[in-house]
Amino acid sequence: MVGSTILKLDGLSKNFGAFQALQNISLEIFEGEFLTIVGPSGSGKTTLIRLLVGMDEPTEGEIRLRGKRIEGTPANKRPTCMVFQSLALFPHKTVGQNIEFPLKIRREPQDRRQERANELLDLLRLPRDYYHKRIAQCSGGEQQRVALARALAFDPEILFFDEPLSALDYRLRKALEKELKDLHERTGKTFVYITHSLEEAMVMSDRIAIMNAGQFEQIATADQIYAKPVSKFVAEFMGEVNLFDIDGSERSGIAASALHSRENLNLGLVDDEFGTLMVRPEFIRQIDGEGNSDFWVFGKLRAEYLLGSRLHYEFECKDGTTLTVEKLREDRLSCVAGDEVLLGWDVENTHLIRSGG
Amino acid sequence: MGASRSAKLALYAYGIVVIAFLYLPLVSVGFASISRARYLTFPIKKYATKWYSSAFASETVMELLAVSLRIALIVAAISMVVGFFGALAFARYNWKHRSLFQKVILLPIFFPQAVLGLSLLIWFNALGIIPDWKTAVVAHLVWIAPIATLIIAIRAYSFDPALEEAARDMGASTWQILREVTLPLLMPGIVSAGLFAFLLSWGNFPLSLFTTGADSTLPEWLYAKVVSGYTPLVPTVGVLSVAGSLMLIAIAFAIFHAVKFASAKSA
Repeated sequence: MVGSTILKLDGLSKNFGAFQALQNISLEIFEGEFLTIVGPSGSGKTTLIRLLVGMDEPTEGEIRLRGKRIEGTPANKRPTCMVFQSLALFPHKTVGQNIEFPLKIRREPQDRRQERANELLDLLRLPRDYYHKRIAQCSGGEQQRVALARALAFDPEILFFDEPLSALDYRLRKALEKELKDLHERTGKTFVYITHSLEEAMVMSDRIAIMNAGQFEQIATADQIYAKPVSKFVAEFMGEVNLFDIDGSERSGIAASALHSRENLNLGLVDDEFGTLMVRPEFIRQIDGEGNSDFWVFGKLRAEYLLGSRLHYEFECKDGTTLTVEKLREDRLSCVAGDEVLLGWDVENTHLIRSGG
Repeated sequence: MGASRSAKLALYAYGIVVIAFLYLPLVSVGFASISRARYLTFPIKKYATKWYSSAFASETVMELLAVSLRIALIVAAISMVVGFFGALAFARYNWKHRSLFQKVILLPIFFPQAVLGLSLLIWFNALGIIPDWKTAVVAHLVWIAPIATLIIAIRAYSFDPALEEAARDMGASTWQILREVTLPLLMPGIVSAGLFAFLLSWGNFPLSLFTTGADSTLPEWLYAKVVSGYTPLVPTVGVLSVAGSLMLIAIAFAIFHAVKFASAKSA
C-alpha cells in the first residue's frame, strides 16, 4: 500500500516573535500511509499541521508535495484537506449541504453533487435520509462522520486530522479509531493525524512521529517506538517505564545504587559513556533468590492498582526510587502492601538509551 | 423550600408597580388621543376617534411620516452594511490598529446627543451644506452605525473562526467564504442591527432637531406642538408612531419565524 514520497518537509522552522515553535523539522510522508504525529500540548504539532495545510507560512524551510514546493501556497489552492478539532461543520447547512460544500465551491452541478454526497453517506455508514438533517440534530459520532465525508468529498491528496476525536467519550472514541483505520484502508488515501493520545496513535498508525519542544524525537512504527525508544522522553511518553542511570566508568556499568546485576554482564557500554537502562513493567517478575535473573532489586510493595485486565504495582526500592510492575490478572503477585520482595528481569527485555559520554 | 407566600406576593406587587410606572404614561397618551376635549383632562368625559381621521387626512402628518420613514429606512440600510464590515474589523480580524478602532468606534455613543447634533450642525455650516433630511441621515448614522456594529460584532464573536478556515481549506475564495459562511452566520445579527437602527432613528429627537433644517420628523413635530399649539392630534400622532414601530417589530418576528419554520421543515 505504502508508496513513494508524497510530502517532504525539509528544515522547517516557525517562530512566533522570539518563541521557536518548530525547530528545523524534516520528515518524509509516503503515499498511502497513516502517519500520526504525537506530542504533549505545546509541543508544536498544531503549528506544524497549520503549515502543512497552508493556514500559516513557515519562517524557514521547504514543504514539497510530489516534489513541488508549496510552502507559500495558501490553503484554498492546495490539494489537501483537514478535519478540524472542532470539526468546523457549518451549522446553517444541512448534512447534505455540508458534504457537498467542496463540490459547490468547484461549481459542480447539483445532481452530481447530491449523487456524490449519497455515495459518501453510504461509505461512512450514515443513512441516506440524513441528507436533509440539520447538523445540530446529529450525535457526536455522526458529526464526526459528516466531517469525514465532507473532507473526502474534497478528494484531497492528503487528509489531515487535528485531534478530531478528543472531545468524544472513551467508548465512541475507541469505535471511531477503528473505523478511521478501516476507512484509511478502503480509501487508500494518505492520512496524517495529530493527537496527544498515544493510545490513539498506536491503534491506527503505520508510523508514529513523536514530537517534543518543536522537534521530532523519533519517527518509527508503534512497535519500535515502544520497545526501542531513542530518548528518555519517548520512553516515558510511551506509557509506564522503569529507567536506571548507567555509567560506563563504573565497574558494573550501573550508577543506580538499588540495581544489582549478574557479574560480567555485557551492557555494550563504552568507557565513560552515559545512558539509561529501560525496562517495561510487564517484563519484571518476582524471583526466589539473587542471581536468578540478570538484574534484580529489593522492593517494598507500596500499592496495588487494578487496571481492568491488568494489575499495576508500585514498589519502593532501597534508594527511595519507585519500580512499577504490571501483571495480567491471572499472574497476580502473592505479596501484600508492606512486604519486601526480590524482583528481577533479564537483559534481553531491556533497552539501552545512550546519552553520550 | 422557596419563598414564603407573603414574599411571593410582595414580589408580584413590586413587579406590577414597576410595569405600571413604565407603561402607564404610554397608556395615558393613548387615552389623550381619543379624548374629544381640546385639552388633556382626566377623567376623560367624552371619547372620539375624530383625531385619528384628521391625522390620516392631514398632509402635514403624512409628510412627517414620510420624512421619518425615509430617514429611518436609509439609516437602517446603511447601518447594516457599515455594521457588517465594521463588525468583521471589530471582532474577526487581527489587524494592527484593532484595539484603537474598538475604542474610537464607541466615542459617538458617549457624546451627549445634543452636543453631537450641535457639532454636526456647525460642521455642515462650515462645509456650506444646507441642512435637510439628508444631513439628518448622516447625523443619525454617526450615532447609530456604531451601535449596529456592536450588535453584529457580538454575533461575530460567537462563531468559531475554524468555520472560515475550513471553508478556505476546502478551496473557497474570500468571496465564496463571505457568501457561503460568514454572511449567513451573521445574518441574525445583521437583521437585529437593522431593526435597532430603524427604531433608534425613528424615535430620535435631539439629533434630528439640530440637523433636519427645514424638514421635520415626527418626534420634532410632537415637541414643537406641545410647546405651541397642543391639540389631541399630538397624542394621536404619538400613538401612530408607536404603532408604526410595533408593526415593524411584528413583521420582523413574523419573517424570522417563517424562515425558521421553513428551514425546520426542510430538515
